[in-house]
Amino acid sequence: MLFNSIQFAIFFPVVVAIYYLLSQRWRVHWLLAASCVFYMAFIPAYILILLVTILIDYFAGIYLERIQDPRSRKRLLWLSILSTCTVLFIFKYFDFFIGSFVGTAGLFGWRLPHPVLSIILPIGLSFHTFQSLSYVVEVYRGKQKSEHNFIVYATYVMFFPQLVAGPIERPQNLLHQFWEWHAFHYPNVTDGLRRMAWGFFKKLVVADRLALYVNDVYGAPRNFNGLQLTLATFFFAYQIYCDFSGYSDIAIGAAQVMGFKLMENFNTPYYSRSISEFWGRWHISLSTWFKDYLYIPLGGNRVSEQRHIFNLMVTFCVSGLWHGANWTYVLWGFLNGAYLVAGTLTKKWRNRMWSAVGVKQDSIFRQTIMLTTTFVLTCIAWILFRAKNASDALYVVTHLTTGWNFHQIATPQFFLRQLPVALAAILVLEIGQLWDRVTSVPASVVKLPTMARWALYACFVMTVVMFGVYKQMQFIYFQF
Amino acid sequence: MQNENNVNEMTAGGGVLVGPDLAVPSAEGRTAENVRGAFPWIPLARLGCFFGLLIGAMFVVNAMISTGLRRIKTSAFGAENLIMEGKVNADVVIAGSSRALAHYDPRTLASVTGKTAFNVGRNGAQTDMQIAFLNAYLEHNRMPGVVIFNLDAFSFVTSTHVFDSVEYMPYIQDPVLYNALKVINPNIWKSRYMPLYGYVVEDMNMTWIQGLKGFLGIYPKEDFYLGFNPRSKKWTNEFENLKESQPEGVSFEIEPAGIQDIQDLIQECQRSGIQLIFVYSPEYREMQSLTTNREEIFAKFREISARYDVPFWDYSDWRYAGNTEYFQNSQHLNAEGAAVFSDDVARRLKQFLQAPNSANVSSRGGEDGSRVATH
Repeated sequence: MLFNSIQFAIFFPVVVAIYYLLSQRWRVHWLLAASCVFYMAFIPAYILILLVTILIDYFAGIYLERIQDPRSRKRLLWLSILSTCTVLFIFKYFDFFIGSFVGTAGLFGWRLPHPVLSIILPIGLSFHTFQSLSYVVEVYRGKQKSEHNFIVYATYVMFFPQLVAGPIERPQNLLHQFWEWHAFHYPNVTDGLRRMAWGFFKKLVVADRLALYVNDVYGAPRNFNGLQLTLATFFFAYQIYCDFSGYSDIAIGAAQVMGFKLMENFNTPYYSRSISEFWGRWHISLSTWFKDYLYIPLGGNRVSEQRHIFNLMVTFCVSGLWHGANWTYVLWGFLNGAYLVAGTLTKKWRNRMWSAVGVKQDSIFRQTIMLTTTFVLTCIAWILFRAKNASDALYVVTHLTTGWNFHQIATPQFFLRQLPVALAAILVLEIGQLWDRVTSVPASVVKLPTMARWALYACFVMTVVMFGVYKQMQFIYFQF
Repeated sequence: MQNENNVNEMTAGGGVLVGPDLAVPSAEGRTAENVRGAFPWIPLARLGCFFGLLIGAMFVVNAMISTGLRRIKTSAFGAENLIMEGKVNADVVIAGSSRALAHYDPRTLASVTGKTAFNVGRNGAQTDMQIAFLNAYLEHNRMPGVVIFNLDAFSFVTSTHVFDSVEYMPYIQDPVLYNALKVINPNIWKSRYMPLYGYVVEDMNMTWIQGLKGFLGIYPKEDFYLGFNPRSKKWTNEFENLKESQPEGVSFEIEPAGIQDIQDLIQECQRSGIQLIFVYSPEYREMQSLTTNREEIFAKFREISARYDVPFWDYSDWRYAGNTEYFQNSQHLNAEGAAVFSDDVARRLKQFLQAPNSANVSSRGGEDGSRVATH
């Protein structure tokens, strides 16, 4: 079920109302049932895949706690990880790896058969797989007690607000919340609803309108001039941010309405002054997942410089592959890793250069240059992420500055009259974010008299309704 | 536990909590105080009140947009409003798709034939939708003497969706229009009953702004003349793109439901005493050879025309059919082409109205290059 659908507009109030009417005994059951309905709205049969993942890690958790022998525990951990990852591999990566293998073999003149599964990727598979894996690893590390109540564990994996696109929760943060009594707390509910409204603004007004332009241009980049390619790349940076952080806002807000607290997933990433800072602010739940379960186990940065570079590159390439079974995603991960490596290697040199020209660390000029450079580098990386293939990506990169034609900005789906709306939406987004950095927007709004507050809310909701785009576009990250 | 602070905050908010260490998901986890009388009716009533007012506001805005669009006196909505308000009452009505809309200038027809004329062509409409709108016209206006129904290569293809459905939104409560739309799109009820759905969900072009402007008396620039919408653009490269993308040509299905639609139209006109004339208006010559089943489609046009005794004027061999100066693309004449064609068809209509039988049995290929069905 999409958040931006009529079904969800009916589903959510019903689920919340019944949730608060139920006794604690039945609340988790109710949430699990609701989560099943939510997930089955996509492809019902795929819930069985989810069930397999849940069963594997549920029993793995229990036995990891029971077994005392370290070697047996380690074997069980790996068995659980491999089993869970096999499900992910079959559904997400089988065709990609076989295709790549057969393609590579072809380069050497070996003609191999090319079996293709052509299965539709279960929605959000990478998200709940990672959430499930984090549980097993945390139990293995002894940082989390195993969950013996199957209903509670299944709800932890399937909790509908964050089921299909995160945030990828850790058991320490979420699991215990299913055992707690969440009383109806009005300020908490209204906070959650406000957060959801902001998420819908990002998704419907910003992301989906920009998507009209981006889809046209990236669908056939060779039909568009340099200005259109540049604008589409700029728009995509905002589209993907608003699409994904909008989803996270709705998820966090929906959970908050029911009294749950999910982890934050974004922290205004485009205000970062370095790529390293960017990755601390973008998709935080995934970045920290890779840091905790891949980068640090590889040795992190407490190793030799070469090994550190290796660790960074491996982590980012795997992160790229996590996003999609396509070489463009791997290249995107590689490029981000390369940015970080270059940043690390040149840090001293850059500092010396700034000092030589007399620009202080905290000067506005230096901060602006750093912020702009980070944004531009991120946008260049997004080209790889968005392009259908490497050839299209190369074309876009090499034609960004050529043939600018200010009389030819519109695309078939995006008429010129939509441009002011799109730009205004970005402006409102930035003003909202900047305002929130100065002072908490919800806290300021709550201080207003009821009538003024309600009028403000109503205007905001009407703006979202009137300027939203409702082409039933899925959230980009669902495919991952 | 890291969430202890939040837990305590929530307790302070008035609810009774079971701390994480003590909690069990069972009825025992709740105190009697929490079970009885704890349901938050007042906060819920506040939320209900807010959302109720919000939905009310949506109905009001929806009504303002519809009223605004119905007030417009210019452009597409202006023409539609004249039709739906029953203010047209023309002697000759031209119906069809965007080709009808852009090809027939009622002013020329009126000046040549001496009859009043109006164009009810619809952009992006298939035959079923064209007929539905014609029926809406007939429902609200005096019966015309003649209906010129413009045919297309896709005339037997039925609609899969309602193109630019927002154009019908101001009149979604009209039973004739609504029932026709419902056949094409069973989900159209959402646009009728859910506030703003038809304006914001189904329409990407923010036509609602035009509606609000109309409500304030601000109308769009006039580009419709008695329903006729000339296309000012010169030849574009759309046809070249089509040739490139479809080198094997294109074909259009002949659907039984599409045939039935046209037969229903004929019978309706015959019942109402309306003289129906089928016209295949000019199509760029090179495109004609690109339509792989064109002969089959035209054979069906001729068969229906002969069976029901409906004149069929085919302008495939129009004298300028190969001249891009008169076309915008392969399907649409530009304003210059429309002026020439309107004059041609007006003269033929005049001749037909003066001596219907002689015009109907004339040999193929008039001086304007049109063909008349030889039945």
